[in-house]
Amino acid sequence: MHRRHAYPLLLFPFLLALLLPAAPATGAEAGDYLRELQASAGERKLHDDRYWDILLHYRKGWFERESLIDDRRFFLAPTGKKDPASELAATLAGFFQEPARKETGNGEEGQPHPRCRFPARFEWLKRRLSIDTSRLPEVSCGDFDNALRQINPKSASLIFASAHMNAPASMFGHTFLRVDSAYRSPLLSYAVNYAATINRRDNGLVYAFKGIFGFYPGYYSILPYYEKVKEYGNMDQRDLWEYRLNLTEEEVRRMVLHIWELQGIYSDYFFFDENCSYNLLFLLEAARPAVSLTDRKGAWVIPIDTLKSVLKANLVEDAVFRPSQARQIRHEASLLDDEKRGITRAVIDGTLPPENLLARDIPREDKVRILDIASEYTQLRYAQKKLPQEAFQKRFVGMLGARSRMEEPADPAPPLPMPDRAENGHAASRVSLSAGVRDREVFQEISYRPAYHELLDPGPGFTEGSQIEFASTSLRYYPKDERLRLQRLDVINIFSAAPRDEFFRPVSWKIRTGIAAKAFASGKDGTVYTLSPGGGFAWKNRFSGLTYLLLETELNYSRGYEKEYAAGVGLSMGTLKAITDSWKILAQGRYIAGVLGDTRRGQEFSATLRQGVRLSRYGSLFFDLERIVSPDVRDTEAKGSWNYYF
Amino acid sequence: MKKLLLIALMVVFIAPTAFAAGAGGVARQNTGCGLGTALFGTNADGSSVLQAFQATTNGTFGNQTFGISSGTSECEQPKKFVQNERLNEFVRANLDDLAKNIAFGKGETLNTLAELMDVPQAERERFNRRLQVHFRDIFPDAKVEYAHVVDTILSVSSRG
Repeated sequence: MHRRHAYPLLLFPFLLALLLPAAPATGAEAGDYLRELQASAGERKLHDDRYWDILLHYRKGWFERESLIDDRRFFLAPTGKKDPASELAATLAGFFQEPARKETGNGEEGQPHPRCRFPARFEWLKRRLSIDTSRLPEVSCGDFDNALRQINPKSASLIFASAHMNAPASMFGHTFLRVDSAYRSPLLSYAVNYAATINRRDNGLVYAFKGIFGFYPGYYSILPYYEKVKEYGNMDQRDLWEYRLNLTEEEVRRMVLHIWELQGIYSDYFFFDENCSYNLLFLLEAARPAVSLTDRKGAWVIPIDTLKSVLKANLVEDAVFRPSQARQIRHEASLLDDEKRGITRAVIDGTLPPENLLARDIPREDKVRILDIASEYTQLRYAQKKLPQEAFQKRFVGMLGARSRMEEPADPAPPLPMPDRAENGHAASRVSLSAGVRDREVFQEISYRPAYHELLDPGPGFTEGSQIEFASTSLRYYPKDERLRLQRLDVINIFSAAPRDEFFRPVSWKIRTGIAAKAFASGKDGTVYTLSPGGGFAWKNRFSGLTYLLLETELNYSRGYEKEYAAGVGLSMGTLKAITDSWKILAQGRYIAGVLGDTRRGQEFSATLRQGVRLSRYGSLFFDLERIVSPDVRDTEAKGSWNYYF
Repeated sequence: MKKLLLIALMVVFIAPTAFAAGAGGVARQNTGCGLGTALFGTNADGSSVLQAFQATTNGTFGNQTFGISSGTSECEQPKKFVQNERLNEFVRANLDDLAKNIAFGKGETLNTLAELMDVPQAERERFNRRLQVHFRDIFPDAKVEYAHVVDTILSVSSRG
């Protein structure tokens, strides 16, 4: 700082002495100090320090330590991605860069100054090396200071988004962070999210391919938490679980500094391992380096597993449940009788104007509830693009205007029942040992399923009626003939039975593709490759449980068929019923009529009765009975399985 | 034979996504200043298959941003002298939920509004009721814009 004093010349030397230490470092001195710091850093091997690994996302790769970040702009050294030591030296050098314009803190080429771009690195190095900032070029980081002030970090939460009702793949979940400020309302907090930026023109196949092989760039973003609540709760109809973390204010602040460093920096997004939830773990480690979360054990990372590891690391204080709008609507609707639900439907459809509802002679609490549901539902319809904006605005204001004339009823409504916590569900992988009888021949079977959940698996923590399985493989052995064969290899097996009611009318669907052993004639099995998509409806009622009816098509390829293939169309009907909390039954009848190829063998009727009993979070038992009838085949099979989840 | 299989595979994956592409997948921008404009649209709707994949990768369209403050500049600004930028932003981005909460006389969005306006806890009940009673002044018609909403809330609650 320059001080101008109106003192006489006598004090000039004194003045000089005052001025010198306060002057910004000039070339030569700066160079010396930089070298001093770099030498000190080298001596202490700071580049091997765990915190440097965390900040730069270095991981032990196949041959050497390498940063998972792919964007070159994250590194100040040309070899920074693979060379922690040179990156650290280059970072120190970066702090000595002369700012082009002091006020904005901009460095060369309009880029923010390294001190402003990498505040977490700066703070850590400053502490470890006891850097005297007065000996560095003066820099003020306007953007960063403003952001930090606005975010005002005090505490943090890990947010877990559970499954969307009709998308079984969403059962894997999604995680993001929330940084809380001094405001009480979490809506004023900021969400920190890592996601892939995709091309909206990509179709499902391209999307899957690019996502799996890392062809999308992933970015961290900060946005108001209310945007996330709207996105997940209102548009996607997914519940949010807010796990409050026990991080101190200092730790949260450190985390925000690191988040700032990742602004606009991309990393290849791999949906199996370097995905949304894995990349958040670096942020938590930046807050509390003592915790080790990013050392991966398996080949893939599922969001629910990262949640479990955060819980295991004792980072969580408690959890708050934030139901989706759809869940709230369903709950409110369940409190109305059939007649009132019909009236609600009429208000929603516009056939009963809200004003006319007010004039009706029905209890006030019911009118309140009807208008509550109708307004929420109208909002949801608009979010699903089922209503044009003008119609939405008119109806919404109309319903709300009527509602505003009614005071809240004295008795509070029964609270919404909270579902089981996602982390209490069974683990993703499953191994099974089975034994059974098929047409009087005994067999033993062993199966492995890497992921994720089928209808009969224990329900807590999963969406009822949602099934998704990858690479489910079974090997079967018939001791009498000493015959071992691949019984089944399902590449994917997805089923979504989403129940319909007067408010929600989803279309249920399924798809299965894989290889299976199929009976061709008595005692003879062939290997068949099958592709079987289907769609239809499902309903839920107290008596029969979750009942579904699907139209199915089936394409089978096997050399055992005439013309080598058999394609058919048919129906399946089934029901899934929970008898108790631990005992479920799944009964299904299915008929496929052969249409193309080997139409004779393509015809098949099957009836199955399956039961699942939950033993614990780690184990369950299944009992299956199946009968298959086809022109050359009459097969009956009974099987008992013991399943272990890990 | 192989061709048939491939065609079947294509049909399964591509047909539904073709519908989805037609139906939308257009990100709803944060434009407009009235009801129904504050939707953060990122996902394609329609096809369950596409949705299934999207749900897994949680992809988003468009630029990743550090959106610490959303803009309200293209809308007409509230007239009240006391400019509370955070309040304006919040109301604009949450107008639908705010309308709902005010009509219901309760809710998280309404509580957040009260906090931004520094309404003490002891006065919240009265504040909520007051706004509810004046719903039709705050939201007089379907085309109401956020500037009017902010102005009216401030004057009705005599905090303007």
